[in-house]
Amino acid sequence: MPALSASEKVRIINQMCGYIPHAELQGICLESIHGEELTLRLPYRQELVGNPDTGAVHGGALTVLLDQTLGLAAICCDQVQATMTPTLDLRIDHLGIAAAGRDIFAAARVYKVTSRVLFIEGFAYCESRDTPIARATGSWVLMSGLNLAELLGSEQAGAQQQ
Amino acid sequence: MTLADLIRHEPNAKTLQRWLKKIPYAVYLGLRAEVHDNDILFILPGNAKLIGNPTLPAIHGGVVGAFMEQAAAFHLVAKMDNPVLPKIINFSLDYLRPTRLRDTYAQCTLTRQGRFIANVCITAWQEESDKPNAIARAHFLIPEPVKEE
Repeated sequence: MPALSASEKVRIINQMCGYIPHAELQGICLESIHGEELTLRLPYRQELVGNPDTGAVHGGALTVLLDQTLGLAAICCDQVQATMTPTLDLRIDHLGIAAAGRDIFAAARVYKVTSRVLFIEGFAYCESRDTPIARATGSWVLMSGLNLAELLGSEQAGAQQQ
Repeated sequence: MTLADLIRHEPNAKTLQRWLKKIPYAVYLGLRAEVHDNDILFILPGNAKLIGNPTLPAIHGGVVGAFMEQAAAFHLVAKMDNPVLPKIINFSLDYLRPTRLRDTYAQCTLTRQGRFIANVCITAWQEESDKPNAIARAHFLIPEPVKEE
């Protein structure tokens, strides 16, 4: 199975961010792809605040961003090729605070693939990737027989018909 | 009144609804809380803006986690002798079945509260409480209470 090219990954990620209503509403978008590591951005919004006294972003908003980023890393993994991959589990260590007014970035990469499970790690940061505000690790289940490209294709066809 | 003040001065479960309204992200998710006897039931109303999988449709897994984390934090606050906003240390979440587009419920157990650290277990379900959609565990850091002047 040939590896996905960077431009194919960009296309899949942009399609998925548009296909998932909650991700689109959050404005979660692709920031960069370097090899097997992809980075997404969550723009700061007042609605994301978890501590009204400081303006810091809610830990749960980070959970959404990290679940989304690690999940897309699963889909774009060279050994998986755009199959549906539901989350099995996710653990997040909160290392710092997502300060008021700052966009949050999350990077992820798949570090192990078995016949049924993908093991993925990632982190979130505001200022610099050298000072992460959260680290995440989790596993995703490989569902064979669900071709994401076909699913996205049929959604697009449906949208065009309307 | 700041949220920290509200929690210090009205530290009982019946004020949960008011606390939730102070948190912009909890308001955005539409979280509600009900108190039944000594139990607190947290509710995430089904809403199309929370969809993560439009085919099923199912609620975004990250949103389910966010709901459970907020439930755990406020469950802890409601059980504190000197309520303060706890800080999340880490959060570990197992997804058991897809969370469909309908109301989701969560209940928490304060497994252990020490002086600085608390451990909270969370169960989220939809149709039946013995068929959880997700279970989670959270550690919180409890900040030193602010001394009254």
